[in-house]
Amino acid sequence: MKGIVPLFLGIFGTFAFSWVGLTLIPNYQIGHLDPQVDEEGNDPYPAPKSGMADRGRKIYAANGCVYCHSQQVRADYAASDIERKWGVRRSAPRDYLFDRPVLLGKMRVGPDLSNIGKRAPVEDENAAPPASTSPAPSASPGANPPAPVSSASPAAPPATSPAASPNASASPKAVAANSPAPAPTNATTASVPPAPANPSASPAAVADANVGPSGGPPMYSEAWHHLHLYSPRSLVLESNMPAYHFLYEKRRISGERANDALKLTGPDAPEGEWEIVPTYDAKCLVAFLLSLDQSHDLKEAKLTAAPASSPAPAASPAPAKEEKK
Amino acid sequence: MNPAEVPLTPPTTAAIATADSDVTNRDVEQVERALIDASTRLPVLFFYSSAIVWLLLGTLLAGFTSFKLHAPDLLANWSFLTWGRIRPAHMNVMVYGWGSMAGIGTAIWLMARLCRTTLRHPLLLIGGAAFWNLGVLLGVGGILAGGSTGYEWLEFPPYATIVLFVAYTLVVSWAILMFRFRRGDNIYITQWYLLGAFLWFPWVYGATQIMLFVVPVQGVMQEAVTWWFANNLLFLWFGAIGLGTAYYMIPKVIGRPVYSYHLAAIGFWTYAFFASWTGMQRLVDGPFPAWMITASIAATILTIIPVATVGLNHHMTMRGYFGLLRYSPTLRFTVFGAISYTVFSLLGVFLSLRSVAGYVQFSETSIAYSHLGLYAFFTMIMFGSMYYIVPRLVGREWRYASLIKLHFWSSTYGVGLMILMLFVGGITQGSSMHDPSLAFGESTQSVLPYLRGRSVSGMLLTVAHFVFAFHFGLMLFGLGRTTGVPTFLNPQEEEAVKTHL
Repeated sequence: MKGIVPLFLGIFGTFAFSWVGLTLIPNYQIGHLDPQVDEEGNDPYPAPKSGMADRGRKIYAANGCVYCHSQQVRADYAASDIERKWGVRRSAPRDYLFDRPVLLGKMRVGPDLSNIGKRAPVEDENAAPPASTSPAPSASPGANPPAPVSSASPAAPPATSPAASPNASASPKAVAANSPAPAPTNATTASVPPAPANPSASPAAVADANVGPSGGPPMYSEAWHHLHLYSPRSLVLESNMPAYHFLYEKRRISGERANDALKLTGPDAPEGEWEIVPTYDAKCLVAFLLSLDQSHDLKEAKLTAAPASSPAPAASPAPAKEEKK
Repeated sequence: MNPAEVPLTPPTTAAIATADSDVTNRDVEQVERALIDASTRLPVLFFYSSAIVWLLLGTLLAGFTSFKLHAPDLLANWSFLTWGRIRPAHMNVMVYGWGSMAGIGTAIWLMARLCRTTLRHPLLLIGGAAFWNLGVLLGVGGILAGGSTGYEWLEFPPYATIVLFVAYTLVVSWAILMFRFRRGDNIYITQWYLLGAFLWFPWVYGATQIMLFVVPVQGVMQEAVTWWFANNLLFLWFGAIGLGTAYYMIPKVIGRPVYSYHLAAIGFWTYAFFASWTGMQRLVDGPFPAWMITASIAATILTIIPVATVGLNHHMTMRGYFGLLRYSPTLRFTVFGAISYTVFSLLGVFLSLRSVAGYVQFSETSIAYSHLGLYAFFTMIMFGSMYYIVPRLVGREWRYASLIKLHFWSSTYGVGLMILMLFVGGITQGSSMHDPSLAFGESTQSVLPYLRGRSVSGMLLTVAHFVFAFHFGLMLFGLGRTTGVPTFLNPQEEEAVKTHL
């Protein structure tokens, strides 16, 4: 080859073609989506995540969770993701509208997490004791009563708790997913963090009330996530997930045991006068996990599996059992 | 021109030789080469030494990464040693520390030789290397400290990226200077690839950084941009440098011209055209428009054209000279790398097919694929080029043929075992994952024995790298052999080689 000009032009031309073709044109096609709303302009999906969940996303990215956990559900004709109950429909570009960084992942050493928040047990007031044992005084989004919004007395929630914030945005999705025609509820009033049911109850008594399928909290509940992050193999025997002790703080119990202290058993349990409490980062990470939910119907990705709609509180641990591994 | 005749003496002695009575063209060429080599000595050795230090660090990180997968409690309690930080640290050290620095070092030397010009402004390059090291150091420190951006292959925090960019600007401005002062009209095949690599890298890296951090694209487009970047970095940066180097080393060592220039041109342009369109096949069945993925699958399949032409060209060049693989370390590493390029591309085609992807998506096969490309193909060619170039820079020959052999065989068996384990393990894992009657945990359990095997292969690679680093250190400190004959792998047959050449 003699001429330098054709060489340069060729080098630029081929690459420009690829750049335009694989990034600019797709960006024109799917890079400017808006949330989907219903006919009345209500029920927008997806919604931006709360501050805590958003911070949790950064922690998720920084600690490399994405190298083992994907966040995408493939269609039923292509893979068994939906059969594994990782989701009720395939993921669509719109699901990730506000995600930054987007954490689709391309490896599954651990299960897919696209709907891990949705799979958290749904509890009503009767199930309040387990919820109150969850580390943060506020409950997970899934712990909100789905229908009886009337019971939400705005005075009740401990609004002072910073952990209440993820509920504000996550709750409408949970509600919407459970009832096909959701009432246009206001996000803030729909959030019903159950008041710490019985603050005076001794921790031991609460723990007794909280015997889940594996002797711990219900699967994928907030308390479960904390236990799982701190001591994965205490909940899933054959797991090879690393323990994230550095997201938790070991401290001497001063006076009463902290509300959000982890209820560990076995070798990871601290000695008598010590307790393990989640750091703010751990709470954010769990808030992020609980905010993951793609069960909302999208016009471009119809539900293929019957949504696990309005699960009776008693039935909620059942899917969890199947998914134990 | 065969390698045994390339001047191995320091330039001063060679210059004296020209004063002798019968000065031939060959003597002039030899002096010219020696002067060029001498001018590249400092920057290239700086790039190489840094690369090898990063290689050792990356190897240690890789060992932790691999062991932690089947021993998750190993060193788990320090945040900076958690698996999810060590893995990207390993990846980025290998990509930006080892691979890029070794590649730039080789590319500098090749460009100087092929442009037939001494290296002007070596300070620019040394500054570039220093900044590059600083950038990688900041980046890896940032990842371990918890500053990872979360985009695969791009985990370096933005402040490290900026430093890398400054470093790269210094390197590329040098490369353009060099090309401007080249002698001779003809641009050799290697130069096409190197020039391509030098121009593609800033484009792909810059465009990606802008699209992810400056004017961020929305939602899943970030993932598309990330994989577009990763694949183009693999093909148009590492791949182009690797292929360019192979196009130089193979003909050079065996002392024959490339079989076909036209074939090489077809190979180069189809490579540039098709390989740049790959990437999205890794997102198969993901939340993307199907046409993007299909386009990339088609491009991946079409890369068979450059693979076939490059492979055929090398094969025909080598025909009748395969016996030299017994003696020349450079040839052995380079040919291993060139063959791996073929295997790598064909495996890429296989894995990209939609019917296959359903089974292997989200499994360890993608790791096998990356290692095949970055190690078996690119790194082996870099080792080969270092075995050729370093003696010409330090004026000494490699000390121990036995160490080169040990390096070659532990690398070969190590990477072979690793790819086998990850590939078979990945297929097992993917098939278990595909079968909904098996619990998900089964798929992870099924791959664990293979991951233990991978750890064993990693130990072999660790041996290889430390042996190589030790040998390189000897050369660096002037402890190589002071003979005019290159170190052959089977010295007792040295005479036979010389007669053959």
